[in-house]
Amino acid sequence: MKEVEKELIEMKNTSELMLDLAYSSLLYHNREIAEEVFNLEQKVNDLQESVIMKILENNEDSETDKSLILLKVADSIERFADAALDIADVVLRDIDLHPVIKKSLEDSDEFMVRREIKKGSFLDGKTLEESEMATKIGMKVIAIRRGENWAYGPDKKIKLKAGDVIFARGPKESDVPLKGWVENE
Amino acid sequence: MVGDNVNRRAKKEELDEDHSEIYYEDTSVRELLTLMKDNSELVADLAYAAIVFENEELAEEVRHLESEMDKMMYQIRLKSMLGARKQKDAEQLSGLLQVASAAEQISDAAEDMAKIIDADVDLTPILPHILSDAEEKVFTLKIEQGSDLDDKSLGELRLEAVTGVRVIAIRRSRRWIYGANSRTTLKAGDMLIVRAHEDGYEKLWPVAHAEKRWGEVIK
Repeated sequence: MKEVEKELIEMKNTSELMLDLAYSSLLYHNREIAEEVFNLEQKVNDLQESVIMKILENNEDSETDKSLILLKVADSIERFADAALDIADVVLRDIDLHPVIKKSLEDSDEFMVRREIKKGSFLDGKTLEESEMATKIGMKVIAIRRGENWAYGPDKKIKLKAGDVIFARGPKESDVPLKGWVENE
Repeated sequence: MVGDNVNRRAKKEELDEDHSEIYYEDTSVRELLTLMKDNSELVADLAYAAIVFENEELAEEVRHLESEMDKMMYQIRLKSMLGARKQKDAEQLSGLLQVASAAEQISDAAEDMAKIIDADVDLTPILPHILSDAEEKVFTLKIEQGSDLDDKSLGELRLEAVTGVRVIAIRRSRRWIYGANSRTTLKAGDMLIVRAHEDGYEKLWPVAHAEKRWGEVIK
């Protein structure tokens, strides 16, 4: 059952990343991010299938109630992921986004931001872990673009470099300190 | 966990009073979409919190938000239809409605997730354990007498900005406050349900328990 637990956690983390990426792709009308949401959806589906298989294989009669609960949790998480996919799908159509969408997202409590890291700035040369961005300014990096390459839901050990573009989410007031961290002052 | 000492019978009327702020009769498409987006994130957090703490009231709030989302979906559909004059309007608005509908689907999935606690099964050995390894987790946090957080608004503290801790709900004696914002004031005795990284939570815990000053934490 340990494996099932791991896979459920992975499903939860992935579905949350997908939703952040989906809203972000919408805000910046960014097709690359939207496409990543499609890739991650496949991952969530595979994980769900594996969870179902493992639960069915290991099920004992006395545990059926619990198995059912785990299956329901997995099902809800998979539907969160589907919703993220529907949002990203709007970006991938060949139709301009309605201008109100961007405005609505900008009005939201949870703020999405895109910033380039400048040479010699605080973040230049630091890993996300070292920067303590999540706990010091409440900003969560959901993607990093380095030239043509992307890291989605980036590992905490990735070293940020000048020229990297980070996509982050967090409270509005954290945009000011974040700006200070990416600029060379 | 602390969830079980939560009062299971908050007055329904009080709850309804709280919600009147969330829902306006005449809201623009732009405001509706913002609300639906914010609610889609809140409702998923609340659903996880409801099953982790096996808390009936949090599950009830998930149901309430879900029905609000249905109403908002209906309104945003009507308003969009009235707003479409040309082919291009209709195409763009159909995309906008797809986003709104996705947010509404999230609340449906969250409602089904929260329903799990209605089953007569003890979830304690499974769910808290499963969700305890996620990157961001839900925690409860009690604000003790003498804490620097007492009588401060979330905006004044800039709580999320300096600790990464996001308040999902607050239980204050018999009442619940959901979807806290920067004007929400914390009080000694409050039980917070928060979403946080472990580090951020550990940073805040001693302040809430009046063992450390807020100034020491945010330096």
